[in-house]
Amino acid sequence: MEFGPIWRASLRNKTGPILMALQIALTLAVIVNAVFIIKQRIDKITRPTGMDVDNIVTVQSFGFGEDFNLQESVPQDLAELEAIPGVLAVTSSQHVPLSGSGWGTELAGSSEDGAPRVNGAQYFVNADAVNAFGVKLESGRAFTAEDVEYPESFGVPISQVIMTRAYLDALFPEGGAQAGATVYDKLGNPVTVIGVLDTMHGAWVGWDELENVMLVPRVMPVESNYYIVRAEPGERDRVMPQVEQTLLATNDRRVVKSLRTHSEIRDSSYQGDRGMAVVLAVVVSLMVMVTGVGIVGLASFAVRQRIKQIGTRRAVGARRQDILRYFMVENWMITTAGVMLGSVLTIAVNYWMVASFELERLDPLYVPAGVLALWLLGLLGVAGPARKASAISPAIATRTV
Amino acid sequence: MFRYYLKLASRSLFAAPATTSLMVATIALGIGIFMAAVTIYYLMANNPIPHKSDVLYAVQLDSWDPAQAYREDLPEQAPWELTYIDAMALRESDIPRRQAAMHKVSLVVQPTRVDLKPFQAQARLTDGDFFALFDIPFVYGAAWSRDADDAGQLLVVISKSRNDELFGGEDSTGRTLRINDREFTVVGVSEDWYPVPKYYDVNNGAFDEPEQMFIPSGVGRELELFSSGNTNCWKDEDINSFEEFLGAECVWWQYWVELPSEVERDAYQAFIDGYVEEQKELGRFARPLNNRITAVEQWLEVRQVVRDDNKVLIGIAFLFLVVCLFNIVGLMLTKFLGKAPQIGIRRALGASRGAVFRQQLIEVGALGAAGGLAGLGFAWLALKGIQQLFPGFEHLARLDLTMVGIAIASAVVTTVIAGLYPAWRVCRVPPGAYLRLQ
Amino acid sequence: MLEMHHISKVYRTDTVETHALRDFSLRVEEGEFVAVTGPSGSGKTTFLNIAGMLEDFTSGTYRLDAEDVSDLGDDARSRIRNEKIGFIFQSFNLIPDLNVFDNVDVPLRYRGFTGAERRRRIEEAVELVGLTSRMRHLPSQLSGGQQQRVAIARALAGAPRFLLADEPTGNLDSEMADGVMALLEDINSAGTTIVMVTHDADLAGRAPRNVQVLDGWVQDTTQAIDSPVASQAPAELAVVGS
Repeated sequence: MEFGPIWRASLRNKTGPILMALQIALTLAVIVNAVFIIKQRIDKITRPTGMDVDNIVTVQSFGFGEDFNLQESVPQDLAELEAIPGVLAVTSSQHVPLSGSGWGTELAGSSEDGAPRVNGAQYFVNADAVNAFGVKLESGRAFTAEDVEYPESFGVPISQVIMTRAYLDALFPEGGAQAGATVYDKLGNPVTVIGVLDTMHGAWVGWDELENVMLVPRVMPVESNYYIVRAEPGERDRVMPQVEQTLLATNDRRVVKSLRTHSEIRDSSYQGDRGMAVVLAVVVSLMVMVTGVGIVGLASFAVRQRIKQIGTRRAVGARRQDILRYFMVENWMITTAGVMLGSVLTIAVNYWMVASFELERLDPLYVPAGVLALWLLGLLGVAGPARKASAISPAIATRTV
Repeated sequence: MFRYYLKLASRSLFAAPATTSLMVATIALGIGIFMAAVTIYYLMANNPIPHKSDVLYAVQLDSWDPAQAYREDLPEQAPWELTYIDAMALRESDIPRRQAAMHKVSLVVQPTRVDLKPFQAQARLTDGDFFALFDIPFVYGAAWSRDADDAGQLLVVISKSRNDELFGGEDSTGRTLRINDREFTVVGVSEDWYPVPKYYDVNNGAFDEPEQMFIPSGVGRELELFSSGNTNCWKDEDINSFEEFLGAECVWWQYWVELPSEVERDAYQAFIDGYVEEQKELGRFARPLNNRITAVEQWLEVRQVVRDDNKVLIGIAFLFLVVCLFNIVGLMLTKFLGKAPQIGIRRALGASRGAVFRQQLIEVGALGAAGGLAGLGFAWLALKGIQQLFPGFEHLARLDLTMVGIAIASAVVTTVIAGLYPAWRVCRVPPGAYLRLQ
Repeated sequence: MLEMHHISKVYRTDTVETHALRDFSLRVEEGEFVAVTGPSGSGKTTFLNIAGMLEDFTSGTYRLDAEDVSDLGDDARSRIRNEKIGFIFQSFNLIPDLNVFDNVDVPLRYRGFTGAERRRRIEEAVELVGLTSRMRHLPSQLSGGQQQRVAIARALAGAPRFLLADEPTGNLDSEMADGVMALLEDINSAGTTIVMVTHDADLAGRAPRNVQVLDGWVQDTTQAIDSPVASQAPAELAVVGS
């Protein structure tokens, strides 16, 4: 192959190739980093929540007036909601997981002073909570109706909880902790872990300790709570309006609001991540398009400039495929120069993003993947103009242009 | 001569509509995407109250856990909010010209209009100075007095929209409004007010809609209202009543002061430091002295209301614009060098290099202006898309006149910069090179 | 009018030096009509480019209209081309997307005339070449002879002292060529100095004075005014200069 002459010819008319190579370098740096971010966001959005999110409806009850008593209202509401056909399980809850609003606390694995404390999200729920969230009990037992407490003030210490495996392991970093373990609240009161959940997500999707969650069987002395209503598969949308009607019919000293599906709540919590992924995907596509068009444009220009030369080459015996190959090789060399510079740039851009923002370091495998993609883009872009060049008649050599 | 160049430019641009559209589209895409990213950034980084942002200060006292900082990732910071005890104590200072303690509450409004059901609404529990502090004008009535705050009188100021909704827009001052099963008296109707960002409380989303109802700070004690914003506690306290909660080491109040000059600023810093020193004697504030008063713009920076993602997007949109410009340079080189024979004739007929250069730059400028206009279209589309992706960004995803101006100007400037090299190349064409047939 | 003294033009690449003109000297008086001839590669093009101030030269001096123009900068040379020189090319070099009026307008624009002045000059020049009725036609709508007449009108519109014609009839058939030559002769008799480059001996023969360039050297066949025979054709070649 005539790499040498092609390279030297490119160097002689160097502005076009330099522009092309720079463009490819920048494109590589942007798309590799953008695709990496997109991948991370998708991983984040799609990680398992442990809950039956797709079949859950949530609603807020907000009581008002002197005579409203949540602790009286809850058992009645639960009974009414459970009676709706198509409802699988219901619990009240102080907040809705994944909603961005919640209640956090700290526990410790030991009662000693200075024992490290671990943050977790805390949900005040009813007996059927495990079923209502659709979470999987790994070991131990679920709550029973007898477990549920109706304290008169906030300060009454909790005595038993169900918590996630992640939270339990975080409290006992040496591992091996099982249902039945004792943990300690902020005031040093012992709390028994009666059940361990496989996975459950807490309130704040951007929080590192999202998987540290505990369920507490209690109804707090406040005015407002949520109901988590889990429908049988396929029944959610039919159940949804009845949930609101049922609550309104049960008690009119309250406002019933925020009737939403759990998947809608999850989606709006991940709105920023999903939006970022979509915006980046659009920019990446546009960038590939613009660069692709640029490659076609510059290759066509190179061909147009050399019509006579190509004719002459053909006249002295070059075959069509030789001309085709000439342009393909020329383009490939430019692309290669571009991706080599681009690889360095990609790492530099990633380094800058890691240093400036809370982003992860790039998985190095993304760079060769991006290089391959741009090689392909280059070859696709040059294919058309190169074919046109190969179709130039040798007779053109003898004509004046 | 300028008009002659313009005429030549339009002739040249219309002579090759395909190339011209490709160039305009490329500029438009680059500028459009970049402008969309910049618009969001610009509105996020907006100064919401430019005429007094340098005299309004958020107050922070470091009442947090001696064992660890409030934010482990920002160890130099104090808690964003104050405890009830401290907020009430600060109200005793007469150094600030105006000041207000505040937090967000959830209320249930029971309208007298029969066609309206009771509804839950977010309100701001604050001092009467709030309105003058943040320059919120009144349509009817006025703010309540300091006495009303202290006594927790059941008074309410509602926004114009809420007044339209509840009272059909008439002057409702003096009317009663049932809230949480209690009779409140409307004392004022304030103008609708949408600061972007919602700087006075960025805890639960810096771009949320502001509250539409305002009640005196003392009402919270009366009705036992918790914050519906953020409440953070660090101390192991046994809290069994609202009374005990008020005395707890929990931060849930925002506090803003207006300090008209350096003198008041220094005096106020001394005042809060003195207050904390006193409290230290009483066994509170075990952390090192770290009391902060922060002006609006610095506050928004500290609170990071502009998200990292937006900065990343600005960077990526900028690189995209650069790629588009490289593309444009290539296209212009092709086009201009294609015109070399014509340029040769003009040179032979006496056009100086400068004249040729100017002619090309005017053509490039015209391209840039067209690209900028089309880019506005793309930016608008992109912002529409962003509104779809991020409901609640309505206040952030809009183009104003400034942005229109910036878009067109930046399109012209960047395109002309991109055109400098091709124009220089073409004006260096030797005048004799294309005149003779060989 | 035009004086070239010992002009050399050397093209240099990394390894080779090519002499396009060596020690070239020529004097053309006001009102003369001079034909410059020579075979392909003799240096005609270089002479044309230098005489028309389109190109620099390596050494020597060039005086045009009593002004030494040897060391002028690009802008000054552009101005002289615009004001003093009119070009007529073999391939006409009209701008294809401008009509007759606008083509003739081009040099006047760079001259900075007012709109009315330009219009007057364009109309006069186009009338002189007999194309008034074709004022709004594009070059592609005209015959070769008409195109060349437009080019002549363009060259004349600025009222140059000196016309530089490069194979002005090279792309025309003999009838059209005749018309163009007649037009040039008229212009010359009205006082404009003309230097015409051509390889066509017949055409050259119509000019009162012939100069032959050969391999970068010059042979002025009418240098001796008292030898009228020599002015007819380049009978024999002698090398003039050092």
